[in-house]
Amino acid sequence: MYQFLLTRKYLTSKLMPLLASVAVLLCTAMVLVIWSVMGGFLDMLVRSGRTMTGDVIIAWPNAGFGYYDDLVERLEADELVESAAPVIESFALIGLPDGRQETVMLRGVDGPSYARVTAYTDILWWKKLDRPLPKDKDLLDPRNRPLKTLDWNTLYEQGLALSKMDPRTGEMVAGVVPGIEVSGFNSRTVEGFYNPILVNKRLPDGGYETVDLFMPARGTITVNTIPLDSRGTAVETVSRVLPVVNEFMSGLYDLDNRLVLVRLDMAQEMLKLGTSEKVVDDPSHPDGYKVVGVNPARVTHVLVRGKGDLGKFGAADPLRRRVETIYERFAEAHKGEVPGLAPIIIMTWEDQNRTMIGAVRKETALVLTLFSLVSLVAVILVLTIFWAMISDKTRDIGIMRALGAGKAGIAWVWLMYGLAIGTVGTSLGLVTAWLIVTNINPIHEWMGEAMGISIWNPEVYYFVTIPNQVDPKHALIVAVGGVLSCFVGAFIPAVRAANMQPVKALRFE
Amino acid sequence: MPIVEVENLCKTYRMGRSEVLVLRNVSMSVEKGECVAVLGASGSGKSTLLHLIGGLDRPDRRDPETGKSPSIRFGGDNITGLSASRLDTYRGRDVGFVFQFYHLLPELTIVENVLLGAMILHGAAYLGKATEYKARAENLLTSMGLAHRLRHRPSELSGGERQRTAIARSLINQPALLLADEPTGNLDEQTGAKILDAIMDIRRTTNQTMIVVTHDSNTAARADRIVRLKDGRVIPA
Repeated sequence: MYQFLLTRKYLTSKLMPLLASVAVLLCTAMVLVIWSVMGGFLDMLVRSGRTMTGDVIIAWPNAGFGYYDDLVERLEADELVESAAPVIESFALIGLPDGRQETVMLRGVDGPSYARVTAYTDILWWKKLDRPLPKDKDLLDPRNRPLKTLDWNTLYEQGLALSKMDPRTGEMVAGVVPGIEVSGFNSRTVEGFYNPILVNKRLPDGGYETVDLFMPARGTITVNTIPLDSRGTAVETVSRVLPVVNEFMSGLYDLDNRLVLVRLDMAQEMLKLGTSEKVVDDPSHPDGYKVVGVNPARVTHVLVRGKGDLGKFGAADPLRRRVETIYERFAEAHKGEVPGLAPIIIMTWEDQNRTMIGAVRKETALVLTLFSLVSLVAVILVLTIFWAMISDKTRDIGIMRALGAGKAGIAWVWLMYGLAIGTVGTSLGLVTAWLIVTNINPIHEWMGEAMGISIWNPEVYYFVTIPNQVDPKHALIVAVGGVLSCFVGAFIPAVRAANMQPVKALRFE
Repeated sequence: MPIVEVENLCKTYRMGRSEVLVLRNVSMSVEKGECVAVLGASGSGKSTLLHLIGGLDRPDRRDPETGKSPSIRFGGDNITGLSASRLDTYRGRDVGFVFQFYHLLPELTIVENVLLGAMILHGAAYLGKATEYKARAENLLTSMGLAHRLRHRPSELSGGERQRTAIARSLINQPALLLADEPTGNLDEQTGAKILDAIMDIRRTTNQTMIVVTHDSNTAARADRIVRLKDGRVIPA
C-alpha cells in the first residue's frame, strides 16, 4: 500500500525520474517509429506486389503461349481460384508530347478480367471520388470538381476498357493507361493528390495562354515496341500513337513511373503475338514454306487470384500447387503447342518478390536490433538514476524498516517506482510514436521544404509515401518491452535497498 | 511480569579491521506501564541497546566474556530468535520509535507520515479501514497541537512540530512499547521541555510503556526509573 503512495510522491516531486521517463519515452518512440515505417514498408511491398499481379503468376516471357482462354477457363473452374487474367509484358519505348523518350514496361491487359484479378479499379486515378482525401480540407483535389469537356464516369469507363470512343466514327479505339508519374505532367501535393501541371502556350498573336497538361483530356503517347521472334531476334519496330485514356497510381513508385498499360489485343498486335498462320518449310512451294494451320494468339503471363485473403506469407502456396496441377493438364491437352510444366514459370506473389521481401525483412530485423541495443541506454539510465536515488533515500529506507517494512516491501517500493516510470515513459512514447508515424509524410514534406532534407527517396524506397500506420501488435510489444526494461533497470538498485541494514540506514548522513 | 526483559546482551560492531564491543553483558527489564530512562554519555551504547530492543538490529550470539547467549523477551517471547518477517511485524505492531532527528519522509504530508506505519503494518487491509486510520492520525496530530498543519510537509514545520509529528507516527498502531532515542536532543531547551511534557502526557493518559534514551539527566529524571550505561555496561544504581 505504502509503495503506491511513495511511487506517486517520488514520481511527482523529483526531476530525475522525469528525466528517466523522457529517456524511456524517446527510446520506445524511436523503436516504434522505426518498426512502423520498416514494417509498413514491407507490408506495402507485399500488398503492392499483389495489387498488380494477383496471387499466382504463370509466366513464359517473350515467346508467350497460346490457348490461354482455355487455361483461364480451366483455372476459373477450380474451387480455389477466384479469377484469372491473360497478360502480356514487354519493354517499350514511348514518346511523350514534349518530345521526351522513356523506356517503360508495357503491359497488355484485358481490362475487365485484369480488374477481377488485381486492384485495377482501385488504382485508376482519374475518377470521381466518393469523398475527399482526409487531408484535402480545402477540396483542392481536381477530382472533386467537374471536368470541362469530359465527365469522371466516362474517364473511369475509358480506363477500365483501356479504350476511348472516337467522336468521328463512334468506335472504341485502343488507348493507354500510364502510371501517374510516367508523363511527368502531374505534380503531387502534400495532401496526397495530383494536379496536372500548368504551362504557358504561345498564341499566334504573340501572347500566352496558360493550359494544364491533363493527359486524359487530349494527351497522346507514341508507343514503340520491338517484337522478337522465337530466337530472340528483332522482327521490326512497331509504332502506335495512342490516346491517354486514364492514369493509374499503385503507390509503388517503380510501377507508377515505368509501367504503361494497353489493351491486350493492341499489345498482341504490336508484339506480333496475335493470331498468325502456322507454316512449315516446303522447298517445293514458291515461297519455301506452306501454311498448315493457324497459330492462336499468345500471352506471356496469366495472373491468378485465389479465393479468400492470401496476403499472408505462405498463404498462396496451396493455390500455386493447384495451378501447377491445372497447368499440367492444360499442357497435356495442348501437347507440343504450349510449354510443359517443367519449363513454365509458376510462382506466387511471394516468390516473385522473394529477394526484395527477404532483404527488407533482414534490414528491418537489423535496424530493430540496433535500435533495441541503443534502447538499453534507458535500462542503464534507470539503473543509474535509481542507484543515485537510493543513496539519497537511504535514511528513508531506514525509517520504513523501523516502521516495520520488510526487505521485500522495500524492494517493491523501487520496483513499483521503476514500473511507474516505465509505464509513464512508454505510454508517452507510444503517443509520440503514433503522432510521428501518422504525420510522417507531412513532417517529411516540411523537412524537405524547410531544411532541404529528403530522407525518403521514392526512387530508392519504391513508394511515393512513407508508411504511416502503427501496428497495434508492434505497439504492444514495444510497450511491454519498455516497461520491462525499466523493471530490469530498477531491479539491482531495489535489491540493494532491500538489503540495507536498518540501523546503518538510519545513521546514514 | 516485565513486558521487556533483556539478558546478557552484547553487541560488537566491525569498524574497518577492528571490532568495537559496544554493549557488554547488558541485562535490564521494564514493567508494563513503566517509563525507564537509559542514561549515558555519547558512545555508551544506549542507542544500540534501544535498536536491539526495538528489533532493528540483532545482538551477538554469545557474550565473549561469559559465553552466555543473549535474550530479549517481549511479553514473554524471545525476539532474538524471530525470523526476519516476524521481526518486521514486531517492529510495526508492538514498537513505536521516536528518533532524535525526527526522521520524517520529506515528500509526504505530516498526515501521510503518520499513516505510513499503518500502511506498512496492514498492507492491503489498510484500504478497508483507511478512513478509520486517517481519523486516528488526525486525532493524534490534533492532540499534539498540529491540527492546523495536517496537509503540510515536514520542511514547512519547526523542529518541535516535526518531533510531535514523529511522536504521533510512533503511536498510530497503538504499540505496547514506545522507544524514544534522544527525543529532545535536537531541540532547544524550551521546545525540548514541551516535547518531554507531551511524551509524559501520553504516558500519564494511556499508561504507555516507554524507554527513553538520553544523555540529559534532567530528561532522565522525569522517568520512573533510570538505567545508567557506561562503556556498554549497566552501572548499578
